[in-house]
Amino acid sequence: MAFEKILTRYTNIPNYTGTIDEYIAHGGYQALPKALRELQPADLIETVKRSGLRGRGGAGFPCGVKWGFIPKDSPKAKYLVCNCDESEPGTFKDRMLIEEEPHQLIEGLIISSYAIGCRLAFIYCRGEFVYGAQVLERALREAYGRGFLGRNILGSGFDLDVHVHRGAGAYICGEETGLLESLEGKRGQPRMKPPFPAISGLYRSPTVVNNVETLSNIPHIVLRGAEWFASIGPPKSAGPRLFSVSGHVERPGNYELPMSITLRELIFDHAGGIPNGRRLKAVIPGGSSAPVLTEQHLDVPMDFESLAAAGSMGGSGGVIVMNDTVCMVRVGEIVSRFYHHESCGQCTQCREGTAWLHKVLRRIEHGQGRKEDLDVLLDMCDNMKGKTICVLSDAAAMPIESYLKHFREEFEIHIRGRACPFEGKGAF
Amino acid sequence: MPTLKIDGVEVTVPAQTTIIEAAERVGIEIPRYCYHPGLSVVGQCRMCQVEVERMPKLAIACNTPVADGMVVSTRSPKVEKARRAVLEFYLLNHPLDCPICDKGGECPLQDYTLTYGPGESRSVEEKIQRVKHKVLGPHIVFDAERCILCTRCVRFCHEMPKTGELGVFSRGDQSEINLFPGKVLDNAYSGNVIDLCPVGALTSRQYRFQSRPWDLVRHTESVCPLCSNGCNVVLDVRHRQRGEELLRIRPRENQAVNRWWMCDEGRFTFTSLHDPARLRVPTWCENGRRAEMGYDDLLLRAARAIRRVVEAHGPEAVGCIASSRQTNEELFLVRRFFREFLGTPHLDFRVRSVQFQASDASEDGILRRTDKTANTRGARDLDIRPGPGGLDVAGMIAAASEGRMKALFVFEEDLVRAFPDRPLRQALGRLDLLVASSMFSTETTALAHAVLPALGFAEKEGSFTNFQGRVQKIHRALTPHVASQSLPEALRDLAVDLGRDLGGIEPEQVWAAIGERPGAYQGIAWKDIGDLGLLPEES
Amino acid sequence: MISDETKKRLDELVKRYPEKRSALIPILHDVQAEVGYLSPEAIAWVAAYLTLSPADVMSVASFYDMLHLEPVGKHMIYVCHNLTCSLLGAERLIRHLENRLGIRMGETTPDGLISLKRMECLASCGTAPAIQIDGVFYERVTPQTLDELLEKLRNGRLQGSRT
Ligand SMILES: Cc1cc2nc3c(=O)[nH]c(=O)nc-3n(C[C@H](O)[C@H](O)[C@H](O)COP(=O)(O)O)c2cc1C
Ligand code: SF4
Ligand code: SF4
Ligand code: SF4
Repeated sequence: MAFEKILTRYTNIPNYTGTIDEYIAHGGYQALPKALRELQPADLIETVKRSGLRGRGGAGFPCGVKWGFIPKDSPKAKYLVCNCDESEPGTFKDRMLIEEEPHQLIEGLIISSYAIGCRLAFIYCRGEFVYGAQVLERALREAYGRGFLGRNILGSGFDLDVHVHRGAGAYICGEETGLLESLEGKRGQPRMKPPFPAISGLYRSPTVVNNVETLSNIPHIVLRGAEWFASIGPPKSAGPRLFSVSGHVERPGNYELPMSITLRELIFDHAGGIPNGRRLKAVIPGGSSAPVLTEQHLDVPMDFESLAAAGSMGGSGGVIVMNDTVCMVRVGEIVSRFYHHESCGQCTQCREGTAWLHKVLRRIEHGQGRKEDLDVLLDMCDNMKGKTICVLSDAAAMPIESYLKHFREEFEIHIRGRACPFEGKGAF
Repeated sequence: MPTLKIDGVEVTVPAQTTIIEAAERVGIEIPRYCYHPGLSVVGQCRMCQVEVERMPKLAIACNTPVADGMVVSTRSPKVEKARRAVLEFYLLNHPLDCPICDKGGECPLQDYTLTYGPGESRSVEEKIQRVKHKVLGPHIVFDAERCILCTRCVRFCHEMPKTGELGVFSRGDQSEINLFPGKVLDNAYSGNVIDLCPVGALTSRQYRFQSRPWDLVRHTESVCPLCSNGCNVVLDVRHRQRGEELLRIRPRENQAVNRWWMCDEGRFTFTSLHDPARLRVPTWCENGRRAEMGYDDLLLRAARAIRRVVEAHGPEAVGCIASSRQTNEELFLVRRFFREFLGTPHLDFRVRSVQFQASDASEDGILRRTDKTANTRGARDLDIRPGPGGLDVAGMIAAASEGRMKALFVFEEDLVRAFPDRPLRQALGRLDLLVASSMFSTETTALAHAVLPALGFAEKEGSFTNFQGRVQKIHRALTPHVASQSLPEALRDLAVDLGRDLGGIEPEQVWAAIGERPGAYQGIAWKDIGDLGLLPEES
Repeated sequence: MISDETKKRLDELVKRYPEKRSALIPILHDVQAEVGYLSPEAIAWVAAYLTLSPADVMSVASFYDMLHLEPVGKHMIYVCHNLTCSLLGAERLIRHLENRLGIRMGETTPDGLISLKRMECLASCGTAPAIQIDGVFYERVTPQTLDELLEKLRNGRLQGSRT
């Protein structure tokens, strides 16, 4: 299936290192002058709206619509913050985009800043991206050197400064308001909404938070047009998407594809299928917060709507594939351990619920489960969903519900047998 | 103004009011832990969730503004389940030690659990163990296992005294309230975290384990006497066979005066009321020998001495130094006695520089004032000042040392200490009669011929006028010692001995007289002064 | 406690932000690199530098996994134990490391050279199992490559970019 790669056009070229010269030599930084000279900010917002670009950070919110929420007449400074916290388990595409093609992001960031009237932008990198942050710093210096950043960019009268800001290890700083708190030098505790960042974000000013991949699409939309972008993939999930495929597949890695691709094609055609002649048991299609899918869902296309209809979600595009040696109770233990560790702790249900989920699942995995545990787990999940400041609580509950939905018997075997049937035999 | 329905009750409130506030107006209390009207809203405990028609999710009442036509339920099955869940989550790690907890009996966690909580725990996991008895500062002790992380205490320290001693450390279920190593929680308002804490995590070192809340038989409304702000308080008194005991002082909400707060000095400085060293019985000193004496004898002797002085030297040889620690009622009677009955112009109360008009100021921009007495404003309003040709305090001292002043009354002030650089001993030593009232022995009482025990503020009924001019009532919470009379009683009897009638001395009666006179309080009756006081210019 | 050179760097850093408190986390990274860990003294220094209360700074520092409030080794090894790495042998790597170094995860070797810490997903799932040593990723790690890395670490031949 021939698909023109867009975001990863050059990253596979041998010896391509993503410096500014190489990027420009391959046609980079052409969208920037076009945007600054030929388009008004309002035109750009309109174009991005028409392109159908949806956020790639997890929620899939239409990018142009979000930009449109920024008040035009507010006297306050406006901020654009690029979300490069990439911490959703199973996701590793933003890291690739910043390490291998940083200027694509920077070009997108400059154009987007122009569109929303921002003169100071930040790239918030998760603390562990030490190298990625260095690459970005170098790339920013290059861009300043060429006059793409700083005062009066390309003679347009538009000024912009961009800084890289590293976090220090906290998944919740990927949630956009947790990120803003962290960027303000605080604990990364998500804020109550409303107000949304577009009205009151960084330093209580209008702010747009966009994912790395979302912004990396912008130069291409400007150069090739909204209609071209909208024609890629299904109408409601337009444009290319980077799927991070990991786990039990022959060729794990990032795959840039239209969202019309099915799980089966992604896993078997692109990622080479399940190694060692094993069978597929379960797949998480959009980062660990996404409910699990099974063989019966293999023909579901990977667009936002279809995945939602199948009971899961597109999320961050992190696809974790598990073969038939995997114990789903152990998966539940690991996933719940993650949310237990990462809950910021503000909300009662999330702080206590993530810990309780983890403890019960660990107990079941270790042969100490009780009959009543499964119903308690389900009720606990219900009590955790839709009731907290951010959706981490939901993200902790939904996968566990789905494991119980699709693999309840496996949990019951653990409880009845007072042991993990995979112990010493399975993937772990 | 939007009109909405809460549990079927219609209420109209100003726009921007939140659901929790609107509910309060119609007497519906929505359970809450992190919300407090005096602190920033954080929406963390999730206890105040309510169901709002046409909203897909439950809304938190503390942060959801009302809208016209809104229909809110605080008791729908969805709300009840969510609330039960929050309580279940809290109890996962909460110790079951209510019977030995200082908060037991007045604990919102205990109360809400009984009303809305799960019947029994579904958890078999072990509870997290945390530090049980950590002394945070001079007044506060912390039990981390009981803490439900509502962050009220943290926000209070950040937002009110702005000292920020407390923080939430770590995250998730590891989160814990703590101090920076080596720091103590000792800001001037630290005691408020005790009231704010919705569980027994922050408790008073003074009050700890002294009593069970249900032992308290009486809560008396009063006003703190320790500075001119006049914070409204409640006095909690335990009654037992061996007597009454003031156990704690708590702030009482008064938006115009102290909002919800009070300072630590006002809260914790009350043990002097029960101090065995207090003066309880009047004493008389003659020829260097001091002896206890009943009021009747003592007042007769004092009356004789006054009469002798007035006959020999005229009323100008008598002076009175009153105190801004005294109530309005006491001061009024003092003025009547000295200015009207005896006819002396020498009357004053200003023994501290701060009491000369305008120098009383806010100490910290919060509550505390630099005038450490309660009733300077009342003394001024009641004209406790020298009449025509009268001497002020310094003048009276000078007159005494020159032998022109023969009899002096000093109420609730230690003159010797107040004027360390004046020859007070010499001056007071020359007097034919020195009468002093005081709660404790002082250098001044040591020189007095007659010493009258003074009552503490918790033993008096009356009023103070705070620096704003707000007249506020204090009520008797403790019965005075059997051997001690109030000053109005003593003055009344002294007047009788001098052939005069001071009139009724109960606050209502005194106010009937005050209200008749021109001045700041004209037209005011005792019953006009409400629970939150009365600002004359507003009435 | 903090060198003039570092302080000068921090002075520059603070200027990037409209509100200087924003520089807190980058400053904590820098101070941690200089002092070794965020000791109470280091926290108090940062608090004074940004005119914040020390409790406030401590509260922030204690929120983040990469900021250490207790002494740690000269070298820090993070091992991802999230789902994909676990599917592909993270727990085996952890056992191997613990055996080789004679310490448990979360501990530091008695000579103060190496600390071990479990980490959540490091965004290396495509090349799992992954670890980080002093801020540098090592991927598709096996017990054999781990031994080689430890050897290099001991000989000071492993380039770190610990900040
Ligand atoms: C718990 C949680 C973690 C998140 N982590 C990330 C992340 O690491 N990267 C990201 O881009 N978005 C993350 N998001 C989504 C962001 O909140 C936000 O929707 C996104 O950055 C918006 O950008 P987009 O519209 O371009 O996708 C997370 C959301 C939640 C609730
Ligand atoms: S849901 Fe969890 S992570 Fe989100 S704000 Fe509440 S406690 Fe924090
Ligand atoms: S100590 Fe009390 S007031 Fe402070 S957070 Fe805990 S429960 Fe709330
Ligand atoms: S501020 Fe003044 S009146 Fe208020 S509690 Fe303190 S001492 Fe008493």
